[in-house]
Amino acid sequence: MDKKLVTLRLERICVERPGRDGRKADILSDISFSAHCGEVTAIVGPSGGGKSSLLRLINRLSDPACGTVYLDGEDIALLDPLLLRRRVAMVPQKPFMFEGTVLTNLQRPFLYRHEPLPGAESAELLHSLELARLDQELIGRDSRTLSLGEQQRVSLARALITKPGVLLLDEPTSALDRPTGDQLAATIHDICRSQRLAIIIVTHDLRLAGRIADYLLFLEAGRIVEEGLPESILSRPQSPELRRFLSDPVKGEL
Amino acid sequence: MENQKIINLDLINLAYAYGLILLAIALARLQRIGQEGEMLWASVRMVIQLFAVGYLLHLVFAVRSPLAVIAILLVMSGFSLQVMGSRIKRKMPDFYRVMGTSLFIGCGGVTFLLCGLVIGYSPWYDPRYLIPLAGMIIGNSMNGASLAAERLSAEIYERREEIETALCLGATARQASETAVRLAFRAALMPTMNTMAAMGIVSLPGMMTGQILSGTEPIVAVRYQIAIMCAITGAVAITSFLILLQGYQRYFNNAHQLKDEN
Repeated sequence: MDKKLVTLRLERICVERPGRDGRKADILSDISFSAHCGEVTAIVGPSGGGKSSLLRLINRLSDPACGTVYLDGEDIALLDPLLLRRRVAMVPQKPFMFEGTVLTNLQRPFLYRHEPLPGAESAELLHSLELARLDQELIGRDSRTLSLGEQQRVSLARALITKPGVLLLDEPTSALDRPTGDQLAATIHDICRSQRLAIIIVTHDLRLAGRIADYLLFLEAGRIVEEGLPESILSRPQSPELRRFLSDPVKGEL
Repeated sequence: MENQKIINLDLINLAYAYGLILLAIALARLQRIGQEGEMLWASVRMVIQLFAVGYLLHLVFAVRSPLAVIAILLVMSGFSLQVMGSRIKRKMPDFYRVMGTSLFIGCGGVTFLLCGLVIGYSPWYDPRYLIPLAGMIIGNSMNGASLAAERLSAEIYERREEIETALCLGATARQASETAVRLAFRAALMPTMNTMAAMGIVSLPGMMTGQILSGTEPIVAVRYQIAIMCAITGAVAITSFLILLQGYQRYFNNAHQLKDEN
């Protein structure tokens, strides 16, 4: 494997949560995998399997109990979290719109860094709108009046505007209807290829994962049960867990 | 002016007044509210507590020692901390340390200014001035402080999504909690602002009426009232500001992560 391609590497990650009786319960245990730039890595599994907790470790919204995350070879625990979050962007499951227009929402990252705010006509703003396939007309709209699909795209554009190297997506399509979700999935796929981003996507939607993932990890009860290329994994599941998950479309689609 | 001409109330006079409470209890009984016992108990407590505090103050006034006055003020502050602790359900981490230091600095500083610079009596510990003035400042700051702390934790709890979205976009803990802090500060100042706006028209403030009753010229009493209102506003603002300044950080760690349980 070409070493230069490795952007992100998780090694023997575990996450604990204090249990009811004072003992610690594992949310995640012994998770190791790599994600490469220009590829979509999908983490699939039933709800409550620890997928979101895993994603939060990568931009240090929280820290693991053990294990290490490397970004381009550097242990992220040793990086300034604010600088790390510039390189590793995250789109949360529910798009949160700050009060104000789409424009002010897109300017947020610059505001936080005390950098000059890009105007509505600036190149970086237009570029991020284009990447997220957002209509330029929307820029002056009150962000809270947008449809959920549009908000999800604003959230995506806002994460991309500062040109991160890694993009984390938490159930990006779960709140959307199927056509809107499919369109967003296509957008994500294109962004990954054109921007050479390493994208990690967490989902319980097998259809989505099958469509856009270059590599797929199946996570259940905090462990990686199966991993590999989506074609082979989804057509020839080895483990009873994945077979059960595949045969239960309600769980897969929610 | 014949100033000290206040009529003393003897126990017979007080008994007439207490008759009004008995009347209230009788009315409650008539309406079958079923809280006559509690009303009676509350009124008895009121009488006992006030007499106790009256004798205590009498003693402190007689001793005129700075230590006694400071002890009284410390007990008042400690009691206000305890009241806040029992009233606020969702406490921030290090609740008592944050609240205690903020109250101490906010109330202490403003009381010092008011007594030393504005009124300028001597000796500085004269209980006739220091105890009621500090008492009013502490009491009002306590209300502001509990509003600030309570609102901050509620806002941070409810704005979790917003705060984490901001963190994802590169915000510092301070930037991410800005809205929560701003709303908490506004909530803390609101009652004081309302009191100021309504003062003199809707209500005659207690301190002013008290001074007038005891023979002070209304013009002088008004000036005292203005001074104490300014002091209260300042103390509430400083105390809440310090609570919020220390408080928001308690919800985050050094890595600008919002802590799990709050």
